[in-house]
Amino acid sequence: MADVQIRDVHKAYGEVETIKGVSVDAPDGQFVVLVGPSGCGKSTLLRMIAGLEEIDRGTISIGGRVINQVEPKNRDIAMVFQNYALYPHMTVAVNMAFSLRLARTPKAEIARRVAEAARILGLTEYLERYPKQLSGGQRQRVAMGRAIVRNPQVYLFDEPLSNLDAKLRVQMRAELKDIHARLKTTTLYVTHDQIEAMTMANTIVVMRDGIIEQAGAPLELYDHPANTFVGSFIGSPAMNLIEGHCDGQNGAIKLDGEAVLRHGVHGVPAGPVICGIRPEHLAIVDAESDGIDVVVTTLEPTGSDTLVQARLGDQIIAAQLRERITAQPGDTIRLGSAPENTHLFDAKSERRIAASD
Amino acid sequence: MSDADQKPAAETVPGLGMTARARLTNLTIDIVLFVFGILMVLPLVLLVANAFKTPQEMVAWPPTIIPADPTLDNFRSVLGETPLLRWIWTSLRFAFLSMVAIVITSSIVGYVLAKFQFRTLEVIFILILATAIVPFEVYMIPLYFQAQSLGILNSIWGLLLGYLVMSFGIFLIRQNVKHSIPDELLEAARIDGAGELWIFARIVLPLLRGPLGALAVLSFFQAWTAFAWPIIVTTSRDAYTIEVGLALFQTGFTVDLGRLSAAAAAVLVPSVTIFVILRRNFVQGIASTGVKE
Repeated sequence: MADVQIRDVHKAYGEVETIKGVSVDAPDGQFVVLVGPSGCGKSTLLRMIAGLEEIDRGTISIGGRVINQVEPKNRDIAMVFQNYALYPHMTVAVNMAFSLRLARTPKAEIARRVAEAARILGLTEYLERYPKQLSGGQRQRVAMGRAIVRNPQVYLFDEPLSNLDAKLRVQMRAELKDIHARLKTTTLYVTHDQIEAMTMANTIVVMRDGIIEQAGAPLELYDHPANTFVGSFIGSPAMNLIEGHCDGQNGAIKLDGEAVLRHGVHGVPAGPVICGIRPEHLAIVDAESDGIDVVVTTLEPTGSDTLVQARLGDQIIAAQLRERITAQPGDTIRLGSAPENTHLFDAKSERRIAASD
Repeated sequence: MSDADQKPAAETVPGLGMTARARLTNLTIDIVLFVFGILMVLPLVLLVANAFKTPQEMVAWPPTIIPADPTLDNFRSVLGETPLLRWIWTSLRFAFLSMVAIVITSSIVGYVLAKFQFRTLEVIFILILATAIVPFEVYMIPLYFQAQSLGILNSIWGLLLGYLVMSFGIFLIRQNVKHSIPDELLEAARIDGAGELWIFARIVLPLLRGPLGALAVLSFFQAWTAFAWPIIVTTSRDAYTIEVGLALFQTGFTVDLGRLSAAAAAVLVPSVTIFVILRRNFVQGIASTGVKE
């Protein structure tokens, strides 16, 4: 077991800089998820930890040892790939025993560890099969088994669930979480799926264009996004971002026309702001209350709640309403939110405006 | 006749008309293929049949498929008067060694070109491809002088000189590696602690069994049927390959169809044997290279 420290790491391919000075701490035993849109550099960063990409600048250390120049096989890591990377001509058992055989582990020890990993992953009856005789979920388990038998200091996962169907993904997510809880090995996990990040991580690192936008606990990111990107990336449906003008005094934000939203941040100077409101924090309010008047375009009743898409000027606003509503597409409704649920971002820098009192 | 032919197609039950027509189309295709198949096989059958015929029957018209009076005289005289077995042995060794060399060089070079990305390697790959468009006739004379100065004329090594590397083989393996072996497989092995040689021997080679089998067949027959180079590099009758020896039959002796047929039939045996053994690889390899870019 060991922690992983990434310090000011850079990586460029020719002229294109894909990692622009990234620092991440993954404390011992933690589950850290690197999340971001495709091309943000998260996979590159993981591959640098694995030793599959060279580090141009900065250091990566595992358990206090700088591993920049250490061969992948000597880093004491195990990696699970998106396409499983199982050896097609070897049985499940041989696939799982592969690294141990290379390390000249005694046969009895190999058999014990493979049996143990197979038991944890429910693969015992498939040990003699070949990868092509397994379903996607089973292959994914074998890939994990191959990592588990090594008992490494760090697990690296590169979008391991992306090739599975939705139902299986949810199931494997829970299994992965359960396995981590049992093994308590430091894990770095790359995904573009914010739900995976939210449900599995101790710490989420949100990346964009080779830099870290924000790192923190899942709910911390959800409740206090550092900027509009994190705000709209974390959470589903995505946060509504509405441009408005702060009057600087009574916590009111004026939009075009008469509509007004309330915010709970003290000491915000007057000027243009971006107002972030999560769909689930919007509710229908009466005509006397503060709120925005929107024209309903689509209604999606899911039983538990109602998803509303509505038009505000030329912008689409999403609202997730707890109640069932009688409005029809084309009707105008007034939506408002509690002041404490309104996030404020600077109109220019798009950074969060924090209370200053 | 034509009425009877058209009846099934003209059946008026809706929905069944198409089936009948489809069946007719299939039948036509079958007949055409069957006729072409016969046309392809017939010369081979006649060749083998001729080998067992007496000189009188050989010139009889129409030619018979099954000899009326089969005889082994042709084989006896061919084997007695020419070093046919020696030629076959030389050809076998030549073709086998060439096959081994080409399989080894193609798999190593093809793998390296497919999976290790350096600009110099790309240049080398283009150079290798370029050699494929230079006709053999252009460089066979310089190659001869090279063989001469190496002192390997009239030897198996002289024969092998131009048959150790095959640019098409390198290309074939490179494409197969690129398309069928994902990078992650090699990366996973590297993380698992495997060295590069180990990865090549235990992961890459087993996964290339199909294309390597096809390449083995191709390269074996390329050497087996080689003519221009063996006739240049071998000057003594004892050093000939079977292909050169067969040509000698037509020119050196009176046109003796019986003995030529017997020699040719004897030569067919190893070819057909190897084809039957490796048939699946052969078809697979060619079929799969056909659909790849």
